[in-house]
Amino acid sequence: MLYNFEDIKKLDEQLEFVDTAVIPFAGADMDDGALSHANNIELLQLVSIQLEKQFKGRIFITPAMTTVKSDTTVLEQYEAQLYDYGFKNVVIITHMKLDEPHTTIRLNHIPLQDMTNDIKLDMVKEEVKKVMKSIISIWNS
Amino acid sequence: MSQKVTRRQFLNYSLMGVGSFMAAGMILPMGRMALDPLFQEGAEGDMVTTSVTIDEITEEPMQVDFTFEQQDAWYTSEVTDFAWVFREGDEIIAFSPVCKHLGCTVTWAADDNNPERFFCPCHNGLYEKNGNNVPGTPPTGPLDQFEVGESDGYLTIGQVIPNQLV
Repeated sequence: MLYNFEDIKKLDEQLEFVDTAVIPFAGADMDDGALSHANNIELLQLVSIQLEKQFKGRIFITPAMTTVKSDTTVLEQYEAQLYDYGFKNVVIITHMKLDEPHTTIRLNHIPLQDMTNDIKLDMVKEEVKKVMKSIISIWNS
Repeated sequence: MSQKVTRRQFLNYSLMGVGSFMAAGMILPMGRMALDPLFQEGAEGDMVTTSVTIDEITEEPMQVDFTFEQQDAWYTSEVTDFAWVFREGDEIIAFSPVCKHLGCTVTWAADDNNPERFFCPCHNGLYEKNGNNVPGTPPTGPLDQFEVGESDGYLTIGQVIPNQLV
C-alpha cells in the first residue's frame, strides 16, 4: 500500500493484514555529497516501487523521507506515530547507518549513473531481492 | 409531350432539395459522433508480444515478462509486468501473478511444503495449478488469467480476464 487516498482509506480495515510500515529514508544535503545522495535516492525509489509490487498486501510504504546532516528526530517521531497507528513492524530502508533501536535494512551504494539500462535493472532486482529476504525474515522472527 | 412544372412546384422541389442537403449536413456528423464509440477499436484489444516462443512453454509454469506503455494522465511510461505461463494439453495458460487477497505477487512453488502450488508470501495464500484458491488460506477467489495468443510463433499476452478453468 502507498500513502495515497485510496490505500489509506482501505488501510484502516486491513490493518490486520497490512502489519508492516516501510519508510524509505535518505539524506538530501546540498554539499559535496549531493551527487551520491541523488544516486541513493534514485535507487531507493526504484527499490520501493518494486517492493510495493511484490508485497502490496502486507506493507505500507510511506512517502520517502529526507533529512539533512543525518538528523533523525523526524524519523523517530514518524516511527512512533506508525507504531501508534497499529503497525507491528516499522522498517526503514536507507543507505545511512542508523543506531540500534531502529529496524533498518541498509542498501548498497550502487553507481547507477555508469550503467546501461539492462545492468541497472539487474542490480536493482538483486537489491530488491535482498530487501525482500530481510523483510520476510522480520516477519518470521 | 412535355409536362408542365408550375412555378409553385419548382420552388417546392428546389426548397426540399436544398433543405434536405442542409439537414443531412447537420444530422450526419451528429449520427457519426453518436455511433463513434461502436467503431472505436479499444486500446484494450491490443496484444503485447513477448520474447518467448510457444515451443519454449512447458507444463512447468514459467515467468514471462512483457512490457507495454501505460498512460497516466499526460505522462506515458513503460511498464514491465509478468505472467505465469504454462502448457495444459494443447492449451497455453497465462495467470496474472496478482494475489486476489490484497494484491501481492504470487510465485510458483516458492513454499517447500507446497511444491505444486502458487504461493503468496504476504499471508501464506495458496492456489492450485489451475488457479483455484486453496480453502483455509486468505485469498477469496481464483487467480485471474491473461488472454493469450500467438504471433509468428511468439506468445502474445492481452487483457486480464477472470479465471476460465475453475
